[in-house]
Amino acid sequence: MAIAVPHPPGGHIDTHSDHIHPAPRTFIGKYIFSLDAKVIGVQYMIAGLLFFCISGLLAEVVRIQLMRPEGGFVSNDTYNGVYTLHASGMIWMTIIPLVTGGFGNYVMPLMIGARDVAFPWLNLVSFWIFPPAGLMLFGSFLIGAPDAGWTEYPPVSVQGPPGTSLWCAAIFLIGISSTMTGLNFMVTIMKMRAPGMTFTRMPLFVWAQLATALLNMVATVALSAALAALFMERQFGVPFYDPGRGGSPILWQHMFWFYSHPAVYIMILPAFGFISEILPTFARKPIFGYKMIAFSSIAIALLGFTVWAHHMFTSGMAPWMQLPFMILTMIIAVPTGLKVFGWTATLWGGKIEYHPAMLFALGFIVVFTLGGVTGIFLSSVPVDLHWHGTYAVVAHIHYVLFGGSIFGVFAAVYYWWPKITGRMMSNKLGVLHFWLTFVSFNATFLPMHWLGLMGMPRRVAQYSDTTPLLINQFTIVNQFISISSFVLAASTLVLLYNMAHSLIAGKKAPPNPWNARTLEWQISSPPPYYNFKKIPAVLKNPYEFGEPLPYLGLDPSDKDDHHPSPTDHPTPAHA
Amino acid sequence: MAQVAAPRSQGLGPGFWPVTIVMTVVNIILGIYIATFDINKYLPEAAAPAGDIDLLFKFMAAIGNAIFLYVTVYVVYFAIVWRRRPSDAPDAIGIQIHDAPTLELWWTIIPSVLVIIIAIFSVKIWMNLQNASGDVLTMEAIGHQFKFEFRYPNLKSSVYDEMHVPVDTPVTVQVTSSDVIHSFWVPEVRLKYDMVPGLVQSVRFTPNRIGKYRVICTEFCGTNHANMFATMYIDSPQDFNRWIAAQAKLQASSGGAVALQGGTAAAGQTLFANKCSSCHSVGPFEQKIVGPGLGKLLSDTTHPNLVTGEKPNAVDISHVLIKGYQGPDDSQGKNGPSLGAMPNRDANGLSNSDIANLVAYLTSLSQSK
Repeated sequence: MAIAVPHPPGGHIDTHSDHIHPAPRTFIGKYIFSLDAKVIGVQYMIAGLLFFCISGLLAEVVRIQLMRPEGGFVSNDTYNGVYTLHASGMIWMTIIPLVTGGFGNYVMPLMIGARDVAFPWLNLVSFWIFPPAGLMLFGSFLIGAPDAGWTEYPPVSVQGPPGTSLWCAAIFLIGISSTMTGLNFMVTIMKMRAPGMTFTRMPLFVWAQLATALLNMVATVALSAALAALFMERQFGVPFYDPGRGGSPILWQHMFWFYSHPAVYIMILPAFGFISEILPTFARKPIFGYKMIAFSSIAIALLGFTVWAHHMFTSGMAPWMQLPFMILTMIIAVPTGLKVFGWTATLWGGKIEYHPAMLFALGFIVVFTLGGVTGIFLSSVPVDLHWHGTYAVVAHIHYVLFGGSIFGVFAAVYYWWPKITGRMMSNKLGVLHFWLTFVSFNATFLPMHWLGLMGMPRRVAQYSDTTPLLINQFTIVNQFISISSFVLAASTLVLLYNMAHSLIAGKKAPPNPWNARTLEWQISSPPPYYNFKKIPAVLKNPYEFGEPLPYLGLDPSDKDDHHPSPTDHPTPAHA
Repeated sequence: MAQVAAPRSQGLGPGFWPVTIVMTVVNIILGIYIATFDINKYLPEAAAPAGDIDLLFKFMAAIGNAIFLYVTVYVVYFAIVWRRRPSDAPDAIGIQIHDAPTLELWWTIIPSVLVIIIAIFSVKIWMNLQNASGDVLTMEAIGHQFKFEFRYPNLKSSVYDEMHVPVDTPVTVQVTSSDVIHSFWVPEVRLKYDMVPGLVQSVRFTPNRIGKYRVICTEFCGTNHANMFATMYIDSPQDFNRWIAAQAKLQASSGGAVALQGGTAAAGQTLFANKCSSCHSVGPFEQKIVGPGLGKLLSDTTHPNLVTGEKPNAVDISHVLIKGYQGPDDSQGKNGPSLGAMPNRDANGLSNSDIANLVAYLTSLSQSK
C-alpha cells in the first residue's frame, strides 16, 4: 500500500539508516562524557535528584526553625542562607535542569524520531556546566552563604556575605547552560523531526519544549547581564545598583524579573507537556483540543515576556506602568485556563486507569488550578499591595512550583521510568507516594495563605514580634505546617525506595507498558543507542486511540524485548 | 479492533447534570458566604483603603473559588465515573472525541469576560488609591537596618520604631530608606510600599479605627530583618496632639540645652582641626572631602539650607552637630548626591561647650569672608 508521506518542512532527513555513529566503547565515553542525549538526560536527572534532596533538606531546616516563634534552631545568618539556597537550589539546580535538560533531553528527541539533539557537543557542555554550578551554589555555605533570598535584591545583596559572589557565578553558569540547551532544543525541534511530523502532529510535550526553548534562549541573557553587574558591583565596586553613586536598585529588579518571570514558564510549560502526554495515555482518549493546548503554550511563552513588572507593584515604579502589567498578567489566565479545561475534558468519557503517573497528573490539575487562581489575586495591584512579600506569596509559588512543576516531574518519573531504566516500578508504592504527597503538600502550603494574609512576612527567622496579638495562632499553624512538611519530606523516601527497589529487583519492562502511542514507546526499553535504526515516517498525531499506529518504517529490531546493546545490533557502518 | 465510541444515548454520562447543578448551588452559596464574610472581625480594617481592597479581594475570592471548585469536582467526578473497570476489555478505549468548538469558545469567552470584570474592578480600586486624599498630616518614614525612623513636621528630632497618627485624618507617609530596600506594611491598612534608597514613595490612607498596630518590614534587609518592626498608634486627635507635645518637650530637654551664646571661635577652630577637618574643608560647599565644605555656611546663596533642609542658623547647626547626619536625604538633588554620613555628638565626643564653640567658629567663618 502506498501512502504519501509529506516531506518534513525545512529538513532533508534520510529515512534510511546511513548515518549511525558507532556506540562509544569506553566507560567514560558511555556514561561520563557521553554525546548521547539519553545519557545526558539521565545525568541531568541524577544530578537534579541529588540537588532536589539537598534543597529539600534545607526546606526542613527552615520548617524546624519556624516551629518556635522565636526561632533558635539556627542563627539568623544561617537561616537566611538556608532559605536562599533552598529556593536557588530548587529553581535553578532542580526544576529547570530536570524539566528541560533531564526529560527534555531524554524524551524529546525520541518523540520527534531523531537520533540525537542537533548539537551533541553543545549538549555535553551544557550538562557539564551544571554539576560544578550546583557545587558552587551549595559550596557557598563554606564561605558565608548568600542571604537575601533567591531574588537577591541589591543593595542588601551588595553588602551580603562573600558567598553571594559565588552565588552570582553559579547562577551565571547555569544560565549559560540553559541558554545553550534552549538553542539546541529549538534547532532540534525545528529541523530534526521525522518525515511527516508536521507541527500539528508533534506530541504536546514537544510543543511545550519548543515554547520553553524560546524562553530559555531569549530571557536568560537578561539574568546573565544582571548577575554580571551585581558581581562587578560586589567585587570591584562598580555602582550599578548603588543609588548613592548614581545607580538604581530598581534596575536589578527589572533585569531580574525580565528573566525570572519567563523562568516561571520555563519551569511550568514542560510540566504542562508531561500532563498532556500522560492524560491521554491513561484515559485512552485523544487530548481534548490539541491545537488549543499546543498554541496556548506559545501564547503563554510570548505573553510571559510582557508581565515581569507585576513582581514590582510595591517597588516604586511609575504608577501608570502598573496598569498594563496588571492587565497583561490577568490575560495569561485565559490560555492557562484553556489548558486546564482541555485536560479536564480529556478525562470525560475516558477509560481512566489509576496509575501513579495518572494520579500525579490529576493532582497536578487540582493544585495547579489553586496556584493559578491565587496568581490572579497577586496580579491585581490593590490586592497585591497587601499580599506582596508575605507567606501568601510563599504559598502561591509552592502551589505552582511544587504542585505544578514537581508534581509534573513525579508524574513524568512514573511514566517514563520503564522506558529509561527498562524496569517497572511498584504501582502500590507509587499510589502510596501520591496520597502521602498530595495530602501533606496541601497541609503544608494551604495554611500559608492564611498566615500571610494575617500578617506574616516571608524570609523571617523569627515571627515572635510581627503580630503579637496573633502569636498563639501563628505558632500553632506554623507547627502544623512544619509537621506536615516532615511528612512531605518522608513521602519522597517512598519514591526513592521505589526507584532503588525497581533498579535492583524490578520486573523487566516491555517496550510499551502503557500502550502509549508516541514514538518513544515504539522501541525497546531502554531504547537502543541509535534510537531508531530507520527513521520512521509519521502519518498522524499520536493521540488516536483505536486506530493503528500512525508510523511507517519502524525497524522491528528496535523493539526487541531483550535490551539490545549496540554491539548486538551492528550498525550498517559495521555491517 | 478496539471498541470505539459510546452510544449517543449515553449523553454526558451518569450524574453529570446532578453534579453540575449541585456544584452551581454550592458555588452560589459559597459566593454569598464570601461576599458577606466580615474580614474586619479577623483582621481589622483600620484605615480607608482597607475596606475597598477587601471588597475586591472578596469579589475575586468568590470567582476564584468557583473556578477552583468546578475544576476540582469535575476532575474527581470524571475520574470516578469514567474509570477503567475490571470488566473492561484490555484494549478498551475512551470516547474518541477531539474537541467541541462551541464548548471551547465558551470556555474562552467566559474566563475572558471574568478577567475583564476583575480588571475593571481592580482599575477602579487602583484609581481610588491614586486619588486618595492625604497630606493633612504629611510625615516621613525612613527605613534603617533594622529600625523605622519617623519624622513629623512639628518635631525637631526623629522618633524611632513608634508612629502615631490621628484618627479620621488623611495621612501621607513619605517612605524612603537610608541603606537597603525595606518595606512599609501595616496589615490592618492593607497597604505596602517598599522603602527604596534614593526614591520617595507616598503611602496615603485615612485611619478610622483607634488602636495599636504593627508596621512590618516585608523586604529582606539583612541579618535582623525578622526583628524590624514598629508600632503604629491610631490616636484620637487629642491623644495625638498630646503625644506630639510630649515628644517636643522630651526632645527639648534631652541631653541638656546647648547654651550657644558662650562659644568662642578660637576654641572652635582648634576643635574643628581635631574633630572635623578630616571630612570637612573650610572652603565653599563644593570643596568636599567626605562632607561639604563649611566655609560659607551662612552666606552661600546656591545652598541656602543645611543638608538637613533646615536654615543655617546657630540653633539648627547645633542640631546637626548633636544628631549627626544619616546620609543624603536631599532627593531633589539640590545639594547633589554623595554627601556621606556624619556621626552624632556621642560618637564625635562633643560636649555642650564644644558644640557652642564649633557653632561660634563656623559662624565666624561665614562672616569674615
